[in-house]
Amino acid sequence: MAGPTQPRPATQHLRRNPPIAGEQEAIDKAREGDARAFETLYAMHKRRVYSLCLRMLGNVAEAEDLTQEAFLQLYRKIGTFRGDSAFSTWLHRLAVNVVLMHLRRKGLPQVSLEETLEPSQDDGPRKDIGARDLTLSGSIDRVTLERAIENLPPGYRLVFVLHDVEGYEHNEIAEMLDCSIGNSKSQLHKARMKLRDLLRTGQRKEQIA
Amino acid sequence: MIVMRAMDKTMTCAEFQDALPELFEIQADLSGHEHLKNCENCAALVRDLQYIASQARLLLPIHDPSPAVWDHIQQAIRQDKPEPPAAVRK
Repeated sequence: MAGPTQPRPATQHLRRNPPIAGEQEAIDKAREGDARAFETLYAMHKRRVYSLCLRMLGNVAEAEDLTQEAFLQLYRKIGTFRGDSAFSTWLHRLAVNVVLMHLRRKGLPQVSLEETLEPSQDDGPRKDIGARDLTLSGSIDRVTLERAIENLPPGYRLVFVLHDVEGYEHNEIAEMLDCSIGNSKSQLHKARMKLRDLLRTGQRKEQIA
Repeated sequence: MIVMRAMDKTMTCAEFQDALPELFEIQADLSGHEHLKNCENCAALVRDLQYIASQARLLLPIHDPSPAVWDHIQQAIRQDKPEPPAAVRK
């Protein structure tokens, strides 16, 4: 039985960010100021960047604002892209940083991360002891999982989305969130536990209905 | 230390669950774990957490921004014009 934290080989980001036909040509032209090429890059990456912003923020208006900000930064910084990583990896890191800057201005992530260091009884892992109940395996569809992620506390949601959805490593997350690697691991575990609670509660409600 | 203890069949549920984040992190093979052989609750917990992580990895980017986002970007770029992309800056 393999653990949920699978190895993240170098190909992890490649799997999530496969090369896109025509992307390199668009990058080259956009670096020279070609507006059509930049529009092509936007069309190629808008869904991924917006989905990332939306999952991290849980708010459509903010996600759209920050998607706009991420692409504006891309426009201004595309000349600094050296090709050391896949373009999409570079762009998504840029988008993550835009979201984190926004959250820091609002003061949310630090507060949430610290708050969730001491989980409430509701979040604690031992809640399950002695509670024979449903198991989730095979029963959760994508929409249900997306909704549950939306309902995670912001600190949990950030780490869960970055690690389990986007494939970042704990050391990368710790650097991005300015926290320890241990904190990142702890938040991830609590996030998964909280998601389990949310999903099981949803299942029980469905059964009653 | 906790992880070493994790292979001890006498450990309690609380001890096992304390060790769980690290066991996941080091990708320990839990299939033959003594505690899980005897504790259906913890076995279900492990299955669920593995399931959640595996399903999260399958989530695809499915949301599109509204067309207004591109309109605003274009507008902002037009206002940005005096400062061209870095690649062509002298």
